[in-house]
Amino acid sequence: MTWLEASALGHVMRESGVWTYGVVNLIHILGVATLFGSVLVLDLRLLGAWRKIPLLAISEPTVPMATAGFTVAMASGMCLLATKATEYTGNPFLYLKFLAIALGILNVFALNFLPGWKAKETRDLSLREQSQLALAGGISLFCWLMAITCGRMIGYW
Amino acid sequence: MYLRLSFRIVAVLTLAGVLTIPALAHHGWAGNSDEEMELTGTVQKGVSLAGPHATMKILAKGQVWDVTLAPPARTDQAGLKEGLIPVGATVTVHGHRNRDSKRLEIKTERVTWNGRTFDVYPDRK
Repeated sequence: MTWLEASALGHVMRESGVWTYGVVNLIHILGVATLFGSVLVLDLRLLGAWRKIPLLAISEPTVPMATAGFTVAMASGMCLLATKATEYTGNPFLYLKFLAIALGILNVFALNFLPGWKAKETRDLSLREQSQLALAGGISLFCWLMAITCGRMIGYW
Repeated sequence: MYLRLSFRIVAVLTLAGVLTIPALAHHGWAGNSDEEMELTGTVQKGVSLAGPHATMKILAKGQVWDVTLAPPARTDQAGLKEGLIPVGATVTVHGHRNRDSKRLEIKTERVTWNGRTFDVYPDRK
């Protein structure tokens, strides 16, 4: 945290005008909104909503959108944290948020290994495969909701 | 059927989670005591206009206090620029102390230095 605050990024964030933090904060929210909006649609589909729409038709736009949103949120989030990193030491919401993000990312990798996720491009899924995907979707929804909730609460600790 | 049910459960839990958020969130001044407080001390660390709130540190009654000001743009607009008040200068801050008595933090409405008053929250008394 000390290192992050003392980094060039921290200096730029603190010394480049009174609106810098606000604008970066806005970019962070746009990134989070893009990530969560995409993830929400995909996860609800994995959980069994809109089953008339093929999974592939939903995963195709939502996965790259979620990746883009995550990248923007991650980059802007590092900037926000670097501004006064040491002030967040001991803030439980920050640690919980990072934990939720780590689990969310692990879940993405797990989902990629599920047979149903690969098979969706070539055939209809068995009930078992659908259940596995539904579980991954539920975990995903939980992780990202946790990440957003904890993120919002950091400032109120 | 199983999927439909799990979908409903998650939907309900999600809704419940979202509804509890406003109850947890306390905005702005709720984390600070209602009581007005004034503190006079010497500047330890000058005004910083970094986000999300401008800050400074003062030494008062033998302890270092965190002085939380308005957001950067608003603090700047009140005339409280970085480097204006030198380290070691005597200032008086007026505001509300953090509700947590272990934390030496005062959320500040105005700062007086050298006969000048900087109203960083002019719409608050």
